[in-house]
Amino acid sequence: MLIPRVIPCLLLTGSGLIKTRRFRHRRYVGDIINAVRIFNDKEVDELLVLDIDATIVGYEPRLDIITSIAGECFMPLAYGGGISSMKQAEELFTAGVEKVVVNSAAIRQPELIKQVSSNFGSQSVVVCIDYKRNWLGRVHTYIESGRKCTGMTPLEHAGYVEAQGAGEIIIQSIERDGCRMGYDLDLIRQIASATNVPLIACGGAHQLTDFSAAIDRGASAVSAGSMFVFHGKHQAVLITYPERHELESIFQRAA
Amino acid sequence: MNSNLYFNVLPEKLAAIEERRLCTRCIMDTSDPDISFDDRGICSHCRDYDILVLRQQRSCTTQSAFKRIVEEISSHGKGRPYDCLIGLSGGVDSSYLAYVARQAGLRPLVVHVDAGWDSELAVKNIEKLVRRLDLDLHTVVVDWDEMRDLQASFMRAEVPNQDIPQDHVFAAAVMSTAAKHNIRYVLNGSNTSTESIMPRAWGYNSLDLRHLRAIHRRFGTRKLRTYPTISFFEYYVYHPRIRGIRTIRLLNFLEYEKAKAIDILQQQLGWKYYGGKHYESTFTKFFQAHYLPTKFGYDKRRAHLSSLVVSGQLSREQALLEMQQPLYDPRQLLEDKEYIAKKLGIPFQELDDILARPGKPHADYPSNERLFRFKDWLIKKNG
Repeated sequence: MLIPRVIPCLLLTGSGLIKTRRFRHRRYVGDIINAVRIFNDKEVDELLVLDIDATIVGYEPRLDIITSIAGECFMPLAYGGGISSMKQAEELFTAGVEKVVVNSAAIRQPELIKQVSSNFGSQSVVVCIDYKRNWLGRVHTYIESGRKCTGMTPLEHAGYVEAQGAGEIIIQSIERDGCRMGYDLDLIRQIASATNVPLIACGGAHQLTDFSAAIDRGASAVSAGSMFVFHGKHQAVLITYPERHELESIFQRAA
Repeated sequence: MNSNLYFNVLPEKLAAIEERRLCTRCIMDTSDPDISFDDRGICSHCRDYDILVLRQQRSCTTQSAFKRIVEEISSHGKGRPYDCLIGLSGGVDSSYLAYVARQAGLRPLVVHVDAGWDSELAVKNIEKLVRRLDLDLHTVVVDWDEMRDLQASFMRAEVPNQDIPQDHVFAAAVMSTAAKHNIRYVLNGSNTSTESIMPRAWGYNSLDLRHLRAIHRRFGTRKLRTYPTISFFEYYVYHPRIRGIRTIRLLNFLEYEKAKAIDILQQQLGWKYYGGKHYESTFTKFFQAHYLPTKFGYDKRRAHLSSLVVSGQLSREQALLEMQQPLYDPRQLLEDKEYIAKKLGIPFQELDDILARPGKPHADYPSNERLFRFKDWLIKKNG
């Protein structure tokens, strides 16, 4: 059977791997190269690496680290963080990255999505949409690692980047990030029914059934961070990934 | 065994030994510069082993002694979340120790130290162990940039024991976690059954913080801010005497056989063997199976296999046969070497040069060797 992709999401800062909670409360998880090697041996479908400081600190994608990550990584690699020009995208593809992920640039330079997708195909450009509820209960999307509000709703934002030519959309709940309370299923359903772009659910995954729930609501793939790096009540750092038969049985039951 | 204290040996001394002489009972030979033989051709390690076993038989290897110690630990732990602490690497000894402790009804807190070299196999073994045995896991993640700097320093210092940065942080993390959780018993997987023999000249004590700092000061490029360390005073006085933390080598209270332990772990827990003592870490494998033999002529397999021979788990012939196996698959070696150079940030050529040069003794760098020797003397004197 065809199993939906289950994608570990790794956050990079400096040369270290970290995990956040609600985009804050950073915790050091270890050396990213070793983590990538372990995921590689676990035969993960795809890997998502996001440099969460690139845009806010203001540096370009660090090709040295990305190249060594790609060198250890036999599965497709998606990279995001600090991408703002066509030249950077080209360099990343040369370095071995399969997909570039944009967040801030999708708002600041929407033409970039078009350029990349017309040059490298739409499958190579992914837009990450981060959103949270404000104190009035309104849901807005954010850029710059969740610091700047765009004023758009997730639905508007998704429609907008779809029109620009995004090949895939990651929809990420800031409030659920690292909290392991399950995906925001309602929103996933809304966006999935309103757009034709493949959707990756992100933020909040706690257990295997969360994956199938998101797929049921129309997501085409799921992504998780904490679930794959933390274990048990002391939140011990331990890299895990479900066995293939576990995924098969969970998605079979859902189908 | 904590046997790597004596370290004043120059590698040239080894080169001077032209003909290797082999012990007639185990497979130790003159690659240990301190080895001596009696008139039957039996080596000093075998003699030391016999003395050790005799002493141990008096104190622990009986079932009642095992029961007694387990009762002591669990009665102390009543009303506490954990009664003991186990440092888990994912290797055979520590994994089996966790299994044994659990079977005996103990409630250990399991601590794993991630120094940046865990293989998928080690991580998977830990996952299986903690899930199947329902253990609580705590991890200490060493900052990789600091660890890298420290390990690169040791590599450039060209000393025999390249495992000091990993071993030191392991001891430090285990002790401080025990103190933090107020745990009085630390179970240790080291044992006389599988690791009784290890020449002192082949390494040096990883607990010597002065030595570690001296090498890092000389070759390091950044400060160690978060790397956990432990001083002589903390390890031998503060934790055991003031905090009252006892280290117990629980496997010495049992008839511990490596092959049986592997069998049990594989069958009951789905655990997997990684082929070779301490090979659960890519770095340690490279260090033991390539760095030490090529640079110093020390092949630690010889000591590991000899330990199994003297404890009756392996025949001498099998051990000699095992020694004929190549240390490394050449393709794997190149791959590991490239990875290690890249990961440590040492140019490949420089690593090659380091491997080609004769090594340096630990005595080339400052240390507290005399303090550790004094401690050994004190322990010996007081029995």
